[in-house]
Amino acid sequence: MTQTTIDSSGRQSRVVWYRNIRVLRVVGQAIAVVGVVALLWWLFNNLVTNLDRLNINTDFGFLGRPTQFQVPYDEGFNPRSSVWSMMLVGVKNTLLAGFFGIILASILGLLVGIGRLSSNWLVARLATLYVETLRNIPPLVVIVFVGFAVFTFGPFPILSEADQFSLFGSDHSFLILSNTIWAVPSLIAGENAGLFWLAALAGLGAAAAVAWWRTRVRERTGKPHHRVLFGLGAFLAVAATGYLIAGDVYALSWPELSETGRRITGGFELNFGFISVTVALGLYTASHIAEIVRGSILAVPKGQSEAANALALSSFQRYRYVVLPQAFRVAVPPIISQYLNLVKNTSLGIAVSYAEITMLTQTSIGNGRPAPQSIILLMGVYLALSLTISSLLNVYNRRLQLVER
Amino acid sequence: MMSDRPFLEPGLEEPRLLIEEGPREKLPPARWLRRHLFNNWYNTAITVLLLMVLGYGGYRFLLFLFVSGRWAPVRQNLTLFMVGRFPRSELWRVVAQLIIWSGALGLAWGAAIAGARFRAAQTGVPYREDPVLARVRRYWGLLALLLLMLLLTESVGPLIVAIGAIGAGAIMQWAGTRVPGQYSDLLWALVGMLAVGGYQIVSGFHGNGWLWMGVPLAAGVGGLTRRVNWQRPRRVRIIRLGSIFGVLLLSYLFYTFVDLRGVGWDKWEGLYLNLVAATVAIVLSFPLGLLLALARRSTFPALRVMSTAYIELIRGVPLISLLLMGRFFIGFFLNTDTPLSALTRAIAAFTLFTAAYVAEIVRGGLQSVPRGQIEAGQSLGLSPLGVTRLIVLPQALRAVIPAMVGQFISLFKDTSLLSIISVAEILQVRALVHTQPAFRGFGIAETLVFVMLAFWAFSFTMSRESQRLERRLGVGER
Repeated sequence: MTQTTIDSSGRQSRVVWYRNIRVLRVVGQAIAVVGVVALLWWLFNNLVTNLDRLNINTDFGFLGRPTQFQVPYDEGFNPRSSVWSMMLVGVKNTLLAGFFGIILASILGLLVGIGRLSSNWLVARLATLYVETLRNIPPLVVIVFVGFAVFTFGPFPILSEADQFSLFGSDHSFLILSNTIWAVPSLIAGENAGLFWLAALAGLGAAAAVAWWRTRVRERTGKPHHRVLFGLGAFLAVAATGYLIAGDVYALSWPELSETGRRITGGFELNFGFISVTVALGLYTASHIAEIVRGSILAVPKGQSEAANALALSSFQRYRYVVLPQAFRVAVPPIISQYLNLVKNTSLGIAVSYAEITMLTQTSIGNGRPAPQSIILLMGVYLALSLTISSLLNVYNRRLQLVER
Repeated sequence: MMSDRPFLEPGLEEPRLLIEEGPREKLPPARWLRRHLFNNWYNTAITVLLLMVLGYGGYRFLLFLFVSGRWAPVRQNLTLFMVGRFPRSELWRVVAQLIIWSGALGLAWGAAIAGARFRAAQTGVPYREDPVLARVRRYWGLLALLLLMLLLTESVGPLIVAIGAIGAGAIMQWAGTRVPGQYSDLLWALVGMLAVGGYQIVSGFHGNGWLWMGVPLAAGVGGLTRRVNWQRPRRVRIIRLGSIFGVLLLSYLFYTFVDLRGVGWDKWEGLYLNLVAATVAIVLSFPLGLLLALARRSTFPALRVMSTAYIELIRGVPLISLLLMGRFFIGFFLNTDTPLSALTRAIAAFTLFTAAYVAEIVRGGLQSVPRGQIEAGQSLGLSPLGVTRLIVLPQALRAVIPAMVGQFISLFKDTSLLSIISVAEILQVRALVHTQPAFRGFGIAETLVFVMLAFWAFSFTMSRESQRLERRLGVGER
């Protein structure tokens, strides 16, 4: 590590070490690292001493022991199930709310975002009203509003007097609405469901092959490829054949209110926590996505639209082939971060006792499980979720971006 | 919730119109309707459908507001919503704070206007005054909230307070615009003193509070002594340092021995707490975030790795998990004899959380400074620290003001999470209201609508202001 300078008389001279920039850099970083490590060590030391003093275990053995409490609206779970399985239930519920919330937010956000740019004055105004209202209210308040003002104390009847909707001439109701539970029909897997799924997988393979073939045809002959149509056709053909051959694949299960009016048998139950979290976060995030959609469409240079006009494309073609693909490219990164926010915001389901991971963790801490490990696990779960989603979508985003010089 | 600004991603610019709009053409109503609502068959269909939906929805909403709404829980608990269970005998402190802060805000506003005029006169650009109507339009959200609350109150006290606060703000704004431009540093020091003093009227003038008061005091005294024009420069320097030190010592002695105690922040509740907690957290997190951003951009790999790890870790977890950490085991990390109060832990969590987001915002600002600026600084022979302090930071921080306002808004909205750890901010106060025997399960939607309106009025006004600032500062336009 020597550094030389040339002074005014042309002589080379060594720089003293305490002015040598390379030495200084190493020393500076070493000091910073030592400082941070010392701070962390001090904190950790305090933690261990205090945990010792209070006789709190620092191992993760509690994961295997029973939870001793019931997860709301989960029939398969009982107080003897382990903390570990409770966490799995929590993650499942977080992902469920996140998934459906993202779908709702995307559709609504796209509609409202395009609506803000509509030539129809009323549509544009209403979309603006929607965005400016929802965006400026905390998501927690929206969740509480949907949960309590709309569900628990809202227009819906109690479960024993639930509204049941059925099709004409059918004995089964396809929708049951009450202030705690909604129910819809569900599918029950039959004996050969696995076989059908194999067939569906084969169908996907067939679709990919057909799409590849159509692409080749297009490259050779220049005819339109229609690969989506062809691929879909191939998939449906193979899957339908599989369905017919396998027989006894899925049966429909209708929801039914029990005699006592206390519970619902059959069908798929949506509890009010799930609906509130999904609907509220969908509505809230849609207002952000709408702004992104609007901004991205406006970000496409005007010249592009004019060029499309000059090529005599129709208004639909202009949007489909010129404006939207470019807007999409701009919109993807901020929309990814909104999706991540939505998934993280499902933790607010705690306010309507939706059994997602944060609420379950808090309950289990309240039941005497050690707090530090539980919360570290909780954070680990969210970190893993965030990193997975963002890395998956980033790969997608990278494929979408223009390759520049 | 976390990042409300869609265009924080580096490399993206806010879309803007390239062509100035001409004067808008005035159409006669019939043609206007035809062009904007009924220009083709599907727009006509949409319009008719929406009008029907809107008519029904509006009818139901008005019915809810004026006929069927049971507003008694809000009307009878308005003070509770505003300040919670703040000791009623000490309520004058909050009133005084409101008036002082309003005055400080007015003074700052006036100073900003005076500064803009001063610069406009120096550069020869015409200065355009905002008409009063534009201001009313800009703040209509807050004005609507204020008006609604005054309508709901049952005594004249709040009206007098509101008039006093608005009056103080108006007078101070007028005074601020009269101060000549060269005294602006003194004016800003005064604004700082008023802001800190207003805070400490409630929290009390004692303990470590002198540190906060010390900053604007030292700035003010420094500005005053700089104006002393004596022959011997060494004497001036001694006088400056001496007087700054003396003032700091005086304030320390005052805070230690006179020791005027106020109401600690554990007793602050209601909407008041939401506002103060957000302000405190953003003020505390700013220096931390700035350091993190500089570390993330530094050429020292060790610093970069540590800061990146912190930022990504915090941004990957929801705020509520940090709040739970603060609630359940932040105490284990510290060797304090008395346990920290719930609010202190929560504010610590808010600060740690916001610092990561502030760091990302500041990093965006740092990246927006062209490399040529840094190279220019280096070619002037400035040290790396000098380049950062004198050239990069002023430009970077100016560019991130709107984004910081956005972060403040989302922090303000996040203060609603305090209700989850049982701190009585406005949403929790609402839950408390419904534990009163008279209002159990009564008027649920009404109180929630009121809470929503309270959050909305502040967030909406601030977001409008940040958009205006963005246009004013010309972020991304050079």
